[in-house]
Amino acid sequence: MSEAQLIKPDLGYVKEVMNAGGESLKKCYQCATCSVVCELAPDGKPFPRKEMVWAQWGQKEKLVNNPDVWLCHQCSDCTAKCPRDAKPGEVLAAVRRTAYQHFAWPGFMGGLFSDARYLPVLFAIPAVLIWLVMAANGGSLSPEGPIVFSKMMPITTGVDLLFLPFAFLALFSAFVGLNEFWKGMDAQVEASVPRKGFVPAAKELLGELIFHATFKKCISSANRSTAHMLVFYGFIGLFVTTNIVLVYEWGHKLLGLHLPQTPLPFSGLGLPPKIIGNVSAIALLVGGVLMINNRMTNKKDNPASTYDWVFLSVILLVGLTGFLAQLTRLANMAGLAYPIYFLHLVFVFYIIAYLPYSKLAHLLYRSLAIIHAKNVGRDALTLAAPAAVAAVPAAAVSAEPAPEAGETAEEKKENPEASA
Amino acid sequence: MTEEKRHTVDEKSIVVVGGGISGLTTAIEAAEAGQPVVIVEKNAYLGGRVAQNYQYFPKMCPPTCGLEINFQRIRKNPAIRYFTQAEVGKIAGESGNMDVAVKVSPRYVNEKCTGCNKCVEVCPVERDNEFNYGLDKTKAIYLPHEAAFPFRYVIDMSVCKGSGCNKCVEACKYGAIDLDMKEKTVEVKAGAVVSATGWKPYDAKKIDTLGFESSPDVITNVVMERLSAPNGPTQGKITRPSDGKEAKRVVFVQCSGSRDRLHLPFCSSVCCLASLKQAGYVRSQYEDAEITMFYIDVRAPGKLEDFFTKAQEEFKINLVKGKVAKVTPKGGEIEVEAEDILGGGKMRVKADMVVLATGMEPAATIPGVVYDENSFVVSGAGSARTLGAGCAKKPVDVAGSVQDATGVALKAIQAMVRS
Repeated sequence: MSEAQLIKPDLGYVKEVMNAGGESLKKCYQCATCSVVCELAPDGKPFPRKEMVWAQWGQKEKLVNNPDVWLCHQCSDCTAKCPRDAKPGEVLAAVRRTAYQHFAWPGFMGGLFSDARYLPVLFAIPAVLIWLVMAANGGSLSPEGPIVFSKMMPITTGVDLLFLPFAFLALFSAFVGLNEFWKGMDAQVEASVPRKGFVPAAKELLGELIFHATFKKCISSANRSTAHMLVFYGFIGLFVTTNIVLVYEWGHKLLGLHLPQTPLPFSGLGLPPKIIGNVSAIALLVGGVLMINNRMTNKKDNPASTYDWVFLSVILLVGLTGFLAQLTRLANMAGLAYPIYFLHLVFVFYIIAYLPYSKLAHLLYRSLAIIHAKNVGRDALTLAAPAAVAAVPAAAVSAEPAPEAGETAEEKKENPEASA
Repeated sequence: MTEEKRHTVDEKSIVVVGGGISGLTTAIEAAEAGQPVVIVEKNAYLGGRVAQNYQYFPKMCPPTCGLEINFQRIRKNPAIRYFTQAEVGKIAGESGNMDVAVKVSPRYVNEKCTGCNKCVEVCPVERDNEFNYGLDKTKAIYLPHEAAFPFRYVIDMSVCKGSGCNKCVEACKYGAIDLDMKEKTVEVKAGAVVSATGWKPYDAKKIDTLGFESSPDVITNVVMERLSAPNGPTQGKITRPSDGKEAKRVVFVQCSGSRDRLHLPFCSSVCCLASLKQAGYVRSQYEDAEITMFYIDVRAPGKLEDFFTKAQEEFKINLVKGKVAKVTPKGGEIEVEAEDILGGGKMRVKADMVVLATGMEPAATIPGVVYDENSFVVSGAGSARTLGAGCAKKPVDVAGSVQDATGVALKAIQAMVRS
């Protein structure tokens, strides 16, 4: 059996996870049905049973530095089969939320995302900033003449001047948090475990990501992979579109190149970003609606938290306002087009500047966790040889198998059993 | 003892619904205190689920001697009357003064039957033997089991070809077979009604993670009793239902549909001990058996802790903490998957046979009796203040049922005296 080890429960963290959407965690009686029905859990130290007992005991360090909570894709097969309705899928989602806040840099930004009460602040910040930049450029919400959005706010000295620094700040903040996360994860794996290397591991991740291979293993919520793929590729397409426009604008302004300027024509060099942008926006909108539909129809086994809903709403609003801004502009409805474009910028700011703190951060944290898992061979889903079971006397039964890859000797000692 | 034949029972009696170990106990204890008692039993025999058990825990002795003593007490006591193949239709009236309608199905075999078996020899029709959970067959006319009380044959009219065949009638030289026997309803005056309707095994088909229907070698604990009993379908040899091969690698799956919001939310309190006991059956037949028991917690309350200790020492069970959530037949064997919580990884065990330790679900509901949210009797509730005994009231083992039923006899006597 395990050696005795003193566990220091962090009751504050237990509450934090419960408040972040894991309120059912205390119902768990550690039967481990979840770990078996999970199609994504590896054989050695599978999840989410151990995460449930860690959460009950407030083992924050173990949880926030644990790649397993990110290997979880919230299929909710565990939640569907849980005999106690402890909703392990929800608890792991809540743990992930606490992880964003834990690794948030600067720290107060994590605090702003910890409670729905701060939501107005999060939207007020970009609204005010965009207004100020607009005013500084001499723009307004109702410029004269044909609708050209850069009359409200020029791209180079307006949009880019505001968004680019915040984008780089977001990336830097994300890097600080991710660096901590990587160190935290790596400290949990013995140095003797062979490392595959970051790049090969990242390549493997990309291979899976292209068709969402892991996501498709979900049983209870198989249709989620389609919705996620639409939103994922919609985002990538819109990112590409934005960058094409950026190149056109700055290439024209700085290098004097003959490149089309906004509003881009539906012809020539203007056509590719138009097509990519519109197709991507539709993918984003369709995917977002599908996601909402999935959450509504699957309420019982997969309820979404406020945190989840806010982000999903922002995604939809980005797509919706972007699309409507284009339509109202083409329809020459200036009274609507400019305010909608303004709102669009607010939501885009939310997505870009808050990248490390909002749910979009899962893109970074999950990717890094999966890379880490692959790096140390943690995610090997191939089945190990069946555990040999011989007619052994009871005394020998509890002899433990050799440690699996991706766990420390220290971790093995610890096994707090929760009371039912 | 009287097997009741009249159409009314005017003498105010204690009506005990269910002739299993709880019902028998309440009935006999009350009758021996001088009260008239009527037992209403659904089966064609008394003894209930206990009669289907191979051995009791913790003593590992057969239940037949205990049942036999009870049957002797019934035979000797004229205050006890009983109906077999009978059900209570409804209970009318108030506590202490009730009318109980008892519907008695025809047995088609009367008391002249000597149990000579000539009828079975000529009967051309077979049926699934429900006493052995369908593991073997009986003829349409059959003896419920070899120690049945009353010791009398019975005809399953749903498969019998009737008077067109008539072979059994012709073969019976005692004139014991009457194919024209009719259903009857008997009105009984009751001073007290005791629901001792017992339990049924939870339907393992409903547990989609445990592969009950994926292989005939995934069985339930009640079937294991029949597979181990000398009067069972295999004469007590523990073999696989699929091919009759020795079942040496046996996995017990605890909490199969128990302590589970999706199935039975409660703990039946006996399944852990039943599996430990059944591990003993396997070990006694196969010295080299590989026995694995997956559990959430092993529950052996009170003195039964000693049995748990003994089982670990003598039956050599590989106890694994972790609930099974996948059972998959693979090339003639069955793979059972769970997380070995103390060992630190997923575990897959290959087995010849898997025993699902299903829990106890209340077997019946009677109009006029009050039940809780899990369909267990709320004793003394409602205008009729009907009583509950044994597993109809809560999941409990045989010893606990007997103790409870003895206490309920006193409550029933009090109700009779008050009325």
